Amino acid sequence: MLYARRATVAAFLLPTFIIIALINLYPIFYTANLSFTNKNAFHLDNYHYIGTQNYQDVIQQTGGAFIHVLLITTLYVVACVGIYVSLGLITAMALNHPRVKGKGIWSILLILPWAVPTFITALIWKFLYDYNFGPINQFIRVITHNPNAGIGWLDQPVAAFIAVVVVNIWMSYPFFMTISLGALQSIPPELLEAARVDGATGWQRFRFVMLPLLRPALLPATILSTITTFQMFNTVYLITQGGPFTTGNINDPGATEFLIVYMYNRVQNTGNIFINYGHVATVAVLVFAVLLVLMLASLRFTNLTKEVKR
Amino acid sequence: MSDQPLEALPAEAISTVEAIARPRSVARSRANTADLFKRLRDNLGVIGIYAFLGVMVIFALFPIYYVFQASFNTTQALISTQLQLVPQAPGWANYQFILQQEPFLTWMKNSFIAVGMATAIALVCATTGAYALSRFRFPGRRFGLVMLMVLQTFPGLLAIYAYEQILTTIGLEGQLTGLAIVYAAGNIVIGVWNIKGYFDTIPVELEEAALVDGGNSFLAFFRIVLPLAAPAIAASAILMFVGGWNEFALAKLLLNPDNNNVTIPVGLQQLQGENSTPWGYFAASAVLVSLPLMAIFLYMQRFFKAGLTIGGVKG
Repeated sequence: MLYARRATVAAFLLPTFIIIALINLYPIFYTANLSFTNKNAFHLDNYHYIGTQNYQDVIQQTGGAFIHVLLITTLYVVACVGIYVSLGLITAMALNHPRVKGKGIWSILLILPWAVPTFITALIWKFLYDYNFGPINQFIRVITHNPNAGIGWLDQPVAAFIAVVVVNIWMSYPFFMTISLGALQSIPPELLEAARVDGATGWQRFRFVMLPLLRPALLPATILSTITTFQMFNTVYLITQGGPFTTGNINDPGATEFLIVYMYNRVQNTGNIFINYGHVATVAVLVFAVLLVLMLASLRFTNLTKEVKR
Repeated sequence: MSDQPLEALPAEAISTVEAIARPRSVARSRANTADLFKRLRDNLGVIGIYAFLGVMVIFALFPIYYVFQASFNTTQALISTQLQLVPQAPGWANYQFILQQEPFLTWMKNSFIAVGMATAIALVCATTGAYALSRFRFPGRRFGLVMLMVLQTFPGLLAIYAYEQILTTIGLEGQLTGLAIVYAAGNIVIGVWNIKGYFDTIPVELEEAALVDGGNSFLAFFRIVLPLAAPAIAASAILMFVGGWNEFALAKLLLNPDNNNVTIPVGLQQLQGENSTPWGYFAASAVLVSLPLMAIFLYMQRFFKAGLTIGGVKG
């Protein structure tokens, strides 16, 4: 800890403070304020406060669309996080096996999906899922000997949901593989040997020796990834645009229209004469509230804040 | 005895030796078979692990390989419903088209400008801010740190109307500079935490010595702390750069698409036609955009890990 004049401290803080206040804090208050007004295409300049009317509208009157979006987003997050954390851990354990050779090569090959820019990942997979020209359906045609076979990966709600989950697993497991491998290598082999001598089975050694030692590394990473998966945009929007939209009603969310994609689709319709800025701002505040709750929960469960107390 | 050649032995003796040896060799081959089974059983686990790793490598690499080979294929061959894993008449046509007919290089340049500016602004702010938060004690310090953590969860897209209003007020609406400022704000939040965590590991005695010798805080910051924190600053810079390079939604909403004034993700999305998608051009762009980033990523990986684990936010 250093002592300095107030002016010096202020000088160091000023650049950060200006940008954060202008680009982070002001917009949050602006949006929160907007969510209590009736600003829309008909009241662009002469809008006024209408209390919590927007919140009632968004939660009740839009056919429960927001609640539906929240539910499918949760399902998406649980499926993605559950699978990529497990897959990353299993891959790391396979690589960490004492008799596996060429660990360096294996891990470089397995880590490559992480290095691909996310908008390119979206492009690649959209190509793979293409109904006519994508290799996945072409492969299905080869093994079924049926030239017309194929799955409408991006046209059917369930298939599209699975498709975007697979993409997220593809791009996210290398991160967990890397984290788990680092943590596994820091476990002293004597501990596992001692458990073996004491007669612990393979499963027991995993469950009661390895897992508790992996927890400090995996838990914060899992929680942070949960939050980023909640905010997933590129690899969903650029593949499905939130669709398929099967009901024909523009207010009904699509099968992969998760929170941020839903938000984007609402905002993007700025040309729409019926745009209701108050409603969009309300959805924004609700999305932020959901993410905030997740963040605060993660602060409780991990030691992320220990730095603050130093 | 050992010096005697084999022919010198009586035939009888040889046959006796053979008779004794034969059952032994049978026994040995039986032992070999049993041994083989035992070794197979022992290795079954390892074989399974290799099989699993093989499947994972196919899962990881097939999409990348497929797009790579498709970038050399002809448009005609790509709109076929037959599975083909190697281009029939490989050529550079897709690359030529992308580089000459489409403003691909302009989009790349725009991305470099917006993301480079954002990273530079964010690094200036994040290093100074992190230094104050790490070295000085002042009212509101803890609150500020928690606030930054909370802000990290705030997706910029949610505040799009406010951004539009601010950028219009300062006259930067639709411009790359405006986008850079918005990106910078998000980067500062990540950067401050990462860099502060690293600053905390640098002994404060070095700066105290400099101050005793008549230096001031700014000198200590520039001459001592910044050079020592280079790994964390580089790791944060890469995180910021990659984050901005990948960003689509804000760029799409905030930039004015006239005169190809867009970044590469938005440009590539615009390339997509109403009904058909030019997969060959997409594949070539994908390779051009990814290769440099993948090279940097693989090279920086170790660096990256150290910079991230020492810093405050792990993830």
